[in-house]
Formats: sequence, structure tokens, C-alpha cells
Amino acid sequence: MSEMWINMGPQHPMTHGLWNLRVKIDGEQVLDVDPEMGYLHRGIEKISEDRHYNEVITLMDRCCYVAGMSWEHLYVLAAEQALHVEPPERAEYIRVMSDEFQRIGSHVMWYAAFVQDIGLMTPFLYGMRDRDLVLDLFQSYTGARMTYEYMRVGGVRNDLPPGFIGEARKVCDWLIDRFVEYDQLCLNSDIFHKRCDGLGVMNAQACIDHGITGPMLRSAGVRRDLRKDRPYSAYDRLEFDVAHAEAGDVTARYLVRMEEMRQSVRIIRQSLDWLEHHPGPVLAQELPRWLGAPYAPVGREGYLLKRNYPKGLGFSAIEEPHGEALAYVVNEGSEHPYRVKFRSPVFANVSAARQYLVGYRVADIPPIMGSVDVCVGEVDR
Amino acid sequence: MSASLLSVSTALSSILLHGVGSILPAPLQGWLTNGNAIDALGILIFGVILLAASMLNTILLIWWERKLLGRFMDRRGAMHVGYAGLLQNFADGFKLFRKDTVRPRDADSMGFFVGPTAYLVTSLVIFAILPISTGWNSGNLPLSLLLAITIFSFAPLFIFISAWSSNNKYSLIGGMRSAAQMIAYEVPILLAIVAVVIVSGTFSLDTIVTEQQNYWYWGPLFLAMVVFVAGMLAEMERIPFDLPEAEAELVEGWNTEYGGMMFAYFMLTDYVRVLLGCFLIVLLFLGGWTMPSWVPSAWTSFPLAGIFWFMLKAYAVFTVFVWIRASLPRVRTDQLLRVGWNRMIPLSLVSIVLAAGLVLAKCVPVFGCLPNLGG
Amino acid sequence: MAAEEWSGELARHLGDRMLSLIPFARTLGRVKFRPEAALEVFRTVHDDLGFDHLSMVGGIDWVDHREVLYTLWSDRRVAYLFLSADLVGSDPHIETASAVWPGANWHERETWELVGIRFDHHPDLRHLLTPDGYAFNPLLRAFKLHEPEELEVKTRHV
Repeated sequence: MSEMWINMGPQHPMTHGLWNLRVKIDGEQVLDVDPEMGYLHRGIEKISEDRHYNEVITLMDRCCYVAGMSWEHLYVLAAEQALHVEPPERAEYIRVMSDEFQRIGSHVMWYAAFVQDIGLMTPFLYGMRDRDLVLDLFQSYTGARMTYEYMRVGGVRNDLPPGFIGEARKVCDWLIDRFVEYDQLCLNSDIFHKRCDGLGVMNAQACIDHGITGPMLRSAGVRRDLRKDRPYSAYDRLEFDVAHAEAGDVTARYLVRMEEMRQSVRIIRQSLDWLEHHPGPVLAQELPRWLGAPYAPVGREGYLLKRNYPKGLGFSAIEEPHGEALAYVVNEGSEHPYRVKFRSPVFANVSAARQYLVGYRVADIPPIMGSVDVCVGEVDR
Repeated sequence: MSASLLSVSTALSSILLHGVGSILPAPLQGWLTNGNAIDALGILIFGVILLAASMLNTILLIWWERKLLGRFMDRRGAMHVGYAGLLQNFADGFKLFRKDTVRPRDADSMGFFVGPTAYLVTSLVIFAILPISTGWNSGNLPLSLLLAITIFSFAPLFIFISAWSSNNKYSLIGGMRSAAQMIAYEVPILLAIVAVVIVSGTFSLDTIVTEQQNYWYWGPLFLAMVVFVAGMLAEMERIPFDLPEAEAELVEGWNTEYGGMMFAYFMLTDYVRVLLGCFLIVLLFLGGWTMPSWVPSAWTSFPLAGIFWFMLKAYAVFTVFVWIRASLPRVRTDQLLRVGWNRMIPLSLVSIVLAAGLVLAKCVPVFGCLPNLGG
Repeated sequence: MAAEEWSGELARHLGDRMLSLIPFARTLGRVKFRPEAALEVFRTVHDDLGFDHLSMVGGIDWVDHREVLYTLWSDRRVAYLFLSADLVGSDPHIETASAVWPGANWHERETWELVGIRFDHHPDLRHLLTPDGYAFNPLLRAFKLHEPEELEVKTRHV
């Protein structure tokens, strides 16, 4: 059979989202790939320019629909710097805890989708079942399961409900046991190793050249984690290890994500201990009046910015479940951000698709792309 | 067990035709009650009963898989239609039946419709050949095993016809994979069967089962059984060998373009073939409808006991297949083909040698001496 | 590293290609460079200063000019650095960074289509997020969300 281009997407089981991977194949061999993005482009950066600072948070949830909390965190960190606001310490711990729960939720979702890609059906449902527990926790203190709108410029919207900490501890204990089960289902299977070992290899230099971050970079032997290297919120007060592996292939990415989830549980347990003994405010008290509306706009005049409010540039970088997410917010002294820019880790990871897909087989594309963990919401924004 | 299904249906047809004939005028009565007409209607009734029974079994099989998979996955499976979801598959079938069958504009109309239909029909025909109990089928065909395997291996042809005529790249890749896989696994299956044939000395399935009265072949021919079961898994295109319809990369492979009843044909045929595969495994290696002598005779002598034990064994084999499906990922094409050509064929050759040795030795260490060997 | 030492090192390596260094909290600051010397600046920053990781490329429309902003990370220095250049004129353009950091490819495609900054010698300057033939740069301040525009969008052919 001669060479031909096939479209894997925009509606294709491999894509896990709305994007198109054009693949040039010769039989089963992949000769070239060309990812096409933009099917989900909503212009979040543009819409943000017409919104008040706290209203952008709504868009952040839609940015990555499996890791909304992390993206809210990213934005509020940048906006706080741009607006010269300091969040209280308790809010920072709640943010860290939410981040880590979100990381577990996102990784479990990734696990479910990834094993489905290589034909394992049972762990898919196990993953979805356990993700539900995390979503239940989110629901109990944010009121939503996917789009939380919980973080605020200057803190978080509301404190944790009574009894939450006990529930969260129970979920942690349950999850730690389940991770063992996940590993047994995958790593004990010879076919899993046949399908995943030595696939989609990216060495450290190639990763750095192409701007690849997150579990993909750490699986290539680079111990880089912004939570350690450039700690934000409360991460400098918490103990954890940076998960990493050496091989740089699909199995290594699997191992890194699994280890990250264990570390997340460790972080969550520490922050729960802290939160239990340190009650306090969760929203900054000295907020400008136009920012101080935690739930809803207080009327048109409530938004008016003081004329002499200082300008500023806010920059934040966080370790999102998929990798390093960056944002800057330009405050030109109006009630809307002048410019918001986000850097999605998946954007960079997918842009290097040619590096880790060419030379493998058509049947290898789902496991490799699965190990990249594509979230189209944040690629297209 | 003297009354066979065929004789029962011939008797039924005789009663029917004589009954109808008695109220008709003379010439018509004569035509209706002659031997040929009775035989013809008898065969028709036989076919209808067989078809209904196998279809019901296939649908029950799907139900059983859904329930089992549900339990493996920590959920309940089909629950709402009928008792414990027993009627769910009928509901699904009716839904597919009501749907329009859309043919892509560029698809080849002949192949597009003939492929699935022939795939279903050729698979169903095998039910008439496999004996489920003594006297179940049309008779003791001397070459029934060969005939069944021959018809069983028509499938890649029809899959490839449907895939090619769909005019879709995914379908084409899926069809090619399917054909390559089925041909690669046809050989070890046949070689494994040769081992059975050497030991039993016959191609007739009825005789093979009778030979297993004292010891089932799964023990002495264990290697052949492993090869046969693995090959059958590939022939049935189930996980871990379901890559022709690998949903992750090929969007259901060769049945991407099919919808409605045509898709139902494929779905049904897949399970028909699974059921056939289970039947063959039971017939060749698990003693068919016979039970070992230590089983109390009360358990083996009630009416239709043969069918009961046969189906029990078949469903037990299927349960193992579902278990495999719930716990294994899918392999890759090249790995599958490599295993097929490099491992399965040598293994099946070894199993033939072992079978020949068995015949020469006339005795199996654990299972006792073979009464009918070396004749 | 002390701030003076750092700015001294920068000045030594970049020379007059650097226009200014604006300090910025928790980063190594924002280096403004002359856009004509972009490629040398990129090479120096990548090879000599060790910023081997390009995190993002973005553009800001300041109405009278456009600013292109590169965010770099160095594993050696464990810090971020911003590079920025002011592009004036009706056709703002700058040399591509993808020769130095291959990962810049998509970031520059995005900046090109959204902010309208052209990247010279870019290997593959196609639309990424917007459809082919989309004639607007949505992230320009002149592009108003609340004024419905006559949009004519070609569909992309595969």
C-alpha cells in the first residue's frame, strides 16, 4: 500500500478532546505527523480583556476542564501580583490542597483514558470511580464538580465546611490503597510492557529544546518541578519528593505520574494537618472595594477602580498536572486586565509530536499520545 | 438419547402435514403427505429451531458478558430491561433494527451489504454441524470437524470485502489487519486440531467426543489446547487480540462505516463466532457433553443432561474469555503476528509430536491407558 | 546572585544589543533588546547564559507599538528571564527564535495569528488556533468583542 494521510480527529477515540492529528502512514508505519489545533479556541485571553479581574476566574475553569483548580490558582497568583494583593496564609494552604487534589483528579483521569487507549477496560472504570471521590470533595467545599470558581484574587471564596478534613483524610487513605491496585493491573502485565516500553522516547535534551515540561520532562531524567525550584503559595513549607524516571518512554511517564499522585497525597496530608490547627480568614481583608465581592458583583459602581490605583505586571508559574503553566497579567490601572497571557504545558508538549511519534506504528499512537496527556481546553484556550 | 432433533422435527412436520392434508382435497393431500414434502418441512423446522436456539444463546452470551464485565469493573452491568437486564440486548437489537442503514456515497453497494450478511450466514451455518449432544445435529458426519473449520475460516474474506467496499481508510487498515491476523492464526489452529485427530483417529466430532468418555483431551493434549485457545481468541478478535477493531486507533476498524442493522450483523456475528469457538473448545478438549465416571449418574442421566453439561462447559470457557478481556490490554499487530508465526506454529508442531508419542505409547501417565489407540 | 553582578554579566554578553534591564520580582528581570539583533541575542542567551528552555512567546499590543515577550527558564540558574523587544511600524516583525529553541515554533505561530507579529524565517508560519484565511488579529486592542464584524472565514481543506 502506498503512503497516505489519515486524520486522527477531530472526532476520534484517540484524541480525548477536539483536535486533529494528521498522520502520514505507510502501512502501519508512521512517516510524519501534523497536529492541528484550534477546534476549541474560545479566545479566553481576548475575553479576559473585557472582564473584571474576578470574572476571569470563571474562564480559567474552562481552560482545562480536568484541572480547573490549578488554572484558577495560576491566574489568581498572577493577578495578585499585578494588583498588589496578598492572600492570607490559610488561603494559600487551601489552594495547595486543592491543587494537589486536582492533580490527583487529573492524573486519575489520565490513567483511565490511557489504559483505555491500550485496550484495558477495567482500570478505566476504576479510575473514573476514584476520580469521583475527589470530585465529591470539591463539591463539598466549592459547590461544583468541574468548574469551581473557587479561588479569588486575594484568597479563596469560602472556608472549608465542618467535617471536611476528616472526609479528605478518608479519601487519601482510600486512594493510596488504590494506587497499588492500579500498578498491579498495569505493571504486572507483560502485554502492558510490550505495548509501552521504549515507545515515544524523548531524551532530556530533546525535551528541553522543545519546551516540554511536567511528567514528560521528569520521565526523561530531569528533576525539575516548579513546586521545588520556584515555590509558590505554601509549597516551601511542605515536604515532598520530585517524582522522576530515566527512560523517557511511555512506561516512565506512567511511573512518574503514579509517583506524583503518591506525593500529592503526602502534600495533602500535611496541609490538612496545618489547616486543622490554624483557623483564620481565607480572603484578604484589605482588598480594594471593587475586588472585595466574593460571590457576585455588588452593582455597577462596586467595580469602579480608584483612579490612582497603581499599575503592575503580574507573573506566575505553577506546576500544573500536565506540566509548567505560566501566566502574566498586565494591569494598566483599569478595572479590566489589559492583557492576559497563558502558557499551556500541553501546548508545548503536543507541538513536539513529530519528535516522539515518527518512526513508530499506528497502533503506538494512542499509548504515546495518551502518555502525553492532552487536554485540548488549555491548548486552544 | 435416541430421539435426535432432526427426527423430532421430521415427526413434527409429519403430524403437521398430515393434519393439514386431512382437510384438503385428494390431490393436494397426496402431495403434502408424501415423504419428500415431510422431509423438506422437517429440515426447515430443524433449521428454525436450530437458528432460534443459537440466536437465543448468542444473546444470552452477550448478556452474560455484560454482567460479568460489570462485576469485574465494580459496576452492575445491564440492570433495567427485564429481570437483571436479561431483555436489554433485545432492546438494543430492536433499536438497531429500527435505525436506517446509511451507506457512504463512495462505498461499493454490493460489497457493503453482501459482506456483513455473508459473514453472519456462514457463521450461523456451523451451528448445524457442531453436535451439542448425541443426536442434536443432522447426523454423524464423518468429516464434520474439517467442514466446521473450513466454514469458520471464510470470515476474513467477508470482513475484507466489507472493509474494502466501505471505502474508508480506517476500515481498510482494519480489514487488512483482520485478514492478516486470521490467516496467521488459522495455521496453528489447524495444527492443534491435527494433534486431536491423531489421538482420536477421526475427523468426526461425535466420535471425538465419544473417545473422550474416559479422559478429556485437555490433560494429555494440554499444549494443543493452549495453542487452540489462543488461536481461537485471535480468530474471535477479542481482547487481547482485538486489534482489527481497535477502537483507540482505528475507530472500530472494519465496521467503522456500518450502522443500524448492518452493524448489528457484525456485532451478532462476533458473538456467534465466540459461541462457536467455545463449542469447539468444549468438543475437542473438554469432553463435549460427556461427564467423567465419578460424577453421580443421577447428574448425567436426566433428560437433556448432555445439552446441559455441554452448555455449562461452553459458558465456563466463555467466562474465562471475559476474564481475559477484563484484565489484559491489547497487543500490537506486529507482536501478534510474530507470536503467531514464531511461537504458536512451533508449539503446535511440538504438540503434534507429543500426540504421536501418545499414540505410540498407548498410555498416558496420569490419565490411564487409552482404550482405542493404535487400532 | 546579586543584582549588579547579574546586570554586569548581561551587559558583558549582550553589549549594546541590550537596551535596558527592568527588574521584576522573583525573576532575573526583563531584558529589552534591539529587535534588529534578535538572532544574536537569542544565541547568546541560549548558549552563553544558559537559558535553554523557552517557556512561551507572547505579544502585547500597546496601541502605538507592539511588544514581543519571550519567557525563558534556565535549569542552571533556576530562574526565569524575560526578553522583550518593542516593534514599531505597520508591519511588526522579528527574527524567529525557533532556530535556537525549536519549541518556539508553535508559540510564534500563535503570536503571529493573534497579535499580528510576523516572525521572519519561521519554518512553518501557518494559522494554528484560528482557521486558515482568518483575516483578523484578535488580540489587538482594535479588535473589539462587542462590535459584530463581518467575518468571512474560509474552511480549511485537508
